[in-house]
Parts: sequence; structure tokens; C-alpha cells
Amino acid sequence: MRKRTLKRGLTGFWWFTLAFLYLPLAVVVLFSFNASNSAATFTGISLRWYGRLMGNEEILSAFANSMILAITSSVIALGVGCLIGYGMYRHRHRKLGWLIVLIYLPIVLPDIVFGISEMTFFVQIHRLTGLLQPGLGTMIIAHITFQIPFVALIVYSRFVGLDPTLFEAAKDLYATPVKRVVHFMLPTIKPALISAFFLSFTLSVDDFVISFFTAGPESATLPIYIWGAIKKGVSPEINAIATLMIGAVALAALISLVFSRRRQA
Amino acid sequence: MSDTIATEATESPGARPAGETTQAEATREASSIEMKGLHKRFGRDTVALDGVDLTIEPGEFFTLLGPSGCGKTTLLRILAGLEEADDGRLAIGGRDITEVPPHKRSVNTVFQSYALFPHLSVRENLAFGLKMRGMSPARREARVAKIAEFIQLGDLVDRRIDQLSGGQRQRIALARALVNEPDVLLLDEPLSALDAGLRSQLQVELLRVQKRLGMTFVFVTHDQQEAMVMSDRIAVLNGGVIQQVGPPRQVYEHPVNAFVARFMGHDNLYPITARDGDRLTTSLGELTAEEAGQGELLLIRPETLDLLPGEVAGENHLPAVVSERLYRGSHAEYRLEIGASTLQATLNNRGRHLPEVGDRVTVSVAPEDLVTLSE
Repeated sequence: MRKRTLKRGLTGFWWFTLAFLYLPLAVVVLFSFNASNSAATFTGISLRWYGRLMGNEEILSAFANSMILAITSSVIALGVGCLIGYGMYRHRHRKLGWLIVLIYLPIVLPDIVFGISEMTFFVQIHRLTGLLQPGLGTMIIAHITFQIPFVALIVYSRFVGLDPTLFEAAKDLYATPVKRVVHFMLPTIKPALISAFFLSFTLSVDDFVISFFTAGPESATLPIYIWGAIKKGVSPEINAIATLMIGAVALAALISLVFSRRRQA
Repeated sequence: MSDTIATEATESPGARPAGETTQAEATREASSIEMKGLHKRFGRDTVALDGVDLTIEPGEFFTLLGPSGCGKTTLLRILAGLEEADDGRLAIGGRDITEVPPHKRSVNTVFQSYALFPHLSVRENLAFGLKMRGMSPARREARVAKIAEFIQLGDLVDRRIDQLSGGQRQRIALARALVNEPDVLLLDEPLSALDAGLRSQLQVELLRVQKRLGMTFVFVTHDQQEAMVMSDRIAVLNGGVIQQVGPPRQVYEHPVNAFVARFMGHDNLYPITARDGDRLTTSLGELTAEEAGQGELLLIRPETLDLLPGEVAGENHLPAVVSERLYRGSHAEYRLEIGASTLQATLNNRGRHLPEVGDRVTVSVAPEDLVTLSE
């Protein structure tokens, strides 16, 4: 009897935790469909705030910026991180501990420190050379820097999970170095690459702090727009943007998860 | 000629049959292997190969046998091109390939872990080598179909790699190497991951494939039984040095030194303390060999001994006491005490009296079965 009570208690705890995590999100989603502009009372279902979004040029431009930033930075980070991940795998038997730590450090560094450093760096370069005017360009560079470690880690762990003899089998079966990459390595790590791309994408879309410090006047992304708009009060429009972002990020994270689970398929 | 797996002949009917024999002979010649003074060192202290000279004849089933770390796998990897020798030359079919990278060698390997590509189907795995060499899809398809029939893969070709059992993977790995029709096939302990029954079944299968194709096989194993069953010739390696090369019977019955003798499973080795022509004195007593040779150790193979009940006087007769008997059905293994020495004997079970523990017996051995060797 006591065992049953305990089991019920633990089940209850599970649901409580889920509620704790998702209730605030649920409120935002709910109020994005509110017919009135009150943030306190729900008066009926309507899509008017989504309609208003479509007519708001500032929001559309922020959305476009977010997409350009996320896709460009993810593609470049994928290329660079893939090479680094392979390099880490190839040289895994050497004592490269501190180098590996250098690759991982950006993951644990506070965003604000990272953002301020990037900003200072870009300002100095700009003052000296006239290059790197704050804008989408600087934001792309900044995003790449925090995406690379994740891509490298995912690619590295995929390679580590492979039978090392496979590389030799490819050589033995007449594959030239280029053909080894095209016909063996890339197809083998494809699930890892897809997973890494979508993870990078979500990291970029989510990011506010680093974007904020490296953005220029014309390059506001959705999080930056929301932050600016919220100073005037939470409007139902913001709820609608937030809901769309939750949906997009959840989708990208889901794709990333599905492909990271595809082990030796 | 039906034994070749080539499809060239069927695709260009004009080329046969006159060209066939010459082509086959050319293949034979192309598949001899010559190694001269091969050295390999890992790091500062590990010597993997310390001067290996070896010639492998075309069409031979040749086995590299030795304990782990003896250099046999390193030697195989040098043949494949996966490892580079520090010193020495390597030629296949008279062509020096010491510096040729693996993807340009007409040599294929069956790996211990099979190394089948997980992202490809069985069919795509089989066609991989042909595809890398730029063969057209139609010809690849024909070659794969032919090898699948030859190795009797049946419907396995349409499976995914993760749907295969160990024995099936082994056969796919063999087919994936053979389909390329290499001059030489290398096999790195290909059966070691399989259980005993399947293992002996695949030993027979592998041997039949080799005999039918007449291809040069270089086989690595640490199992002397397997080496004896499979090989035309065996090279026993220890410490990066070849100890002995020869046909299985020669290596088993006339090992050149104590290492080879012990590795082939012999325990009955006795230092010769005095000699008078072919009359040898050991801790067992005095024995006469037919040709004693110069070795300082006497080898007595357990299966050459006979046990007579009681004490029987005679030449090469030694009085002994049975201290242990292991009955194995087809034969019985004995441990005998002769003075302070022990002797192993194996008796065939053909309805005769099998002495029991504690019995006094007389050990008898023929002079021609006694072999001497050096330490």
C-alpha cells in the first residue's frame, strides 16, 4: 500500500515539474490567440495578432534577419566544425587535452562576457581597418564562434563511435583520399551533420545576448526586436511572435534529436 | 575455367577461349609475393618486425602464425599498404610496391572486425571496390551477382548490415574482397570472432574457395590448429622474426627450435645431457634416435608413444607410473612420471587396454619418431 502511495507521489512530482517548465510557455501561446488585447483576461480565440504581425514591416525585417543570420552562420559553422571534429578524431591518441579544452571553453563561457569581448574586438578592428562595421556580418561571425564547438563535438562523437577499421577498409577497396571523403566519411556522418546543423540553427535563433552586443542599427533580429518592443509593454503581438518562435525552435530541436539518435543505421 | 569469378569472358565472347590460359597464367605470376629485410618499429622501443625475408608462391594458402605481438598482423598490414615498413622491400608479381598506397594495390583484405560499411546495404558493400575503381554500374551488378552465387550468399545481398549474424558478416566481408579479383587476398584472423562450430565450418569453406580460385591467400592466425588445417605453408613468427617456414607437417613434426615446438603444442622437451652418436641421455633415461642431429633438446611427440602394461625390457623402453588420465573418447591423454620427470602421452582409443592412474607401465617409442632441436 505504501509503495503505491510513493509511486503516485512520484508521478505527481513528474507532472508538477512538467507544469513548472511548460505553464509559462502555455500562457504565452494561449494569449497569442486572445481576441482582446488584455494581458489578464482571455476573451475568445482569434488570429488577429498573427495578422497584425504580417503587416508589421519591422517584425518582418527582424524575422528575415534572424533567418539569414541563423542559416548563414550554421552553414559556415557546419563546415568549420566538421573539419575540427574530424581533426580531433584523427589526433585523439595524442595528448591534446588543453587544445580540446580551448575548443569547448566557449560553450561554458557566460554569453555576456562572450558578447562584450566580441563587440570590443570588432570595434577595435573597425577603428583600425574600417572593416567589420557592426551589422549582420559581425553577428554572423559571432554566432559561428559559439556554434563551432557544438558542431565539432557532435561530429567527433560520431567518428569515435565508428569502427576505426572502416577507414582502412575504404583505402583497401581502392578509394582515393577524395573518394574516401565523398563515398565513406560524409555519408557515414550525415545524420550527425544534419543534427549539428539544426542544433546550430536553434542556438542562433535563440540567442539574444551575443546578438545584442554585436548587432548594428539595421540588423535587429527577432529577440532584439522583442526586447525593444517589450519596453513599451507586453503586447499580444509579442505573444504571437513568441509562439511562432517556440514552434520553429521545437521543430528544429526535434529534427536535431531524431538525427542524433540515428546511430549506425 | 568456370572457377574464375571474372565476367569479362561472358561480356566479350570473342576473347575466349584462346586468351584464357595465358590470362590465368599471368594472374598466377602476378600473385607471388617477395619480402626482403622488412623492418618496422613503433615508437622508440617496440620492434614489430626485425628483418623479415619471405617468398610466397602464387596460389599458395600461406599462414602467418604466432602469439599476439609477434609481428604477424604488422606484416599483413604492410602487405596491404596500411602500414609502411621502416626498411626493406616488398614486391608482388615482381613489381616493387613498397611505396604504393593501399588504394593502388591489387590486394584486398578481410578484416578481423569485417569492417562492413554501416551506411551501405550488403549489395553496395560488395560493389564498393568496383565502384571506386570506376567500373560501370551494369558490370558491377554482374560481378556482384556472380560473387554472390559463388559464395552462396542467397538473399543476403538485399539485407542491411545490421540484420546480419557474425557468420554472415564474415562471408560478406570475404565476398567484398574477392569480388575485386585481387592478386593477393589478405585475411586478418577472419574467424576469431566466431564460435567453434561455425568456425570449423567456415575454415572448410574458405579452403575450398581458395583451392577453386587458385588465388594467393595470406592468412593471419594465433591458432596453430587452424594454421595446420588451412595452410600449404606456415611461417611461425616470434618477436618480429620468422622462426620457421614450411608445410604444416614439417613445422609440427620437425620444429626448428623450442619456441616453435611449444607454440605448436609440444610439451615433451628434454635437455640432452650426454650423447654417444645417436644414443642420447636425458632426464628420462637413455634413448636411441634414428638421426639425432645436433640439437640440444629432445622432442617426444605424445602421439608417437605406446604404453605397455607392466615392465617390459627393450630398446627405447622406459618404466613409468601413470599420474593422470584424461579420457576424451576418441583418445586418452596421459601424464606419466619417469623418475623426477613427467611425460605426456596420447593413446588412440581403438579397443585396447587403457592404463589407469597408478598403473606401472612401460613407455615405448620408435627411434625414427625422436627429433632433436635447439633452444
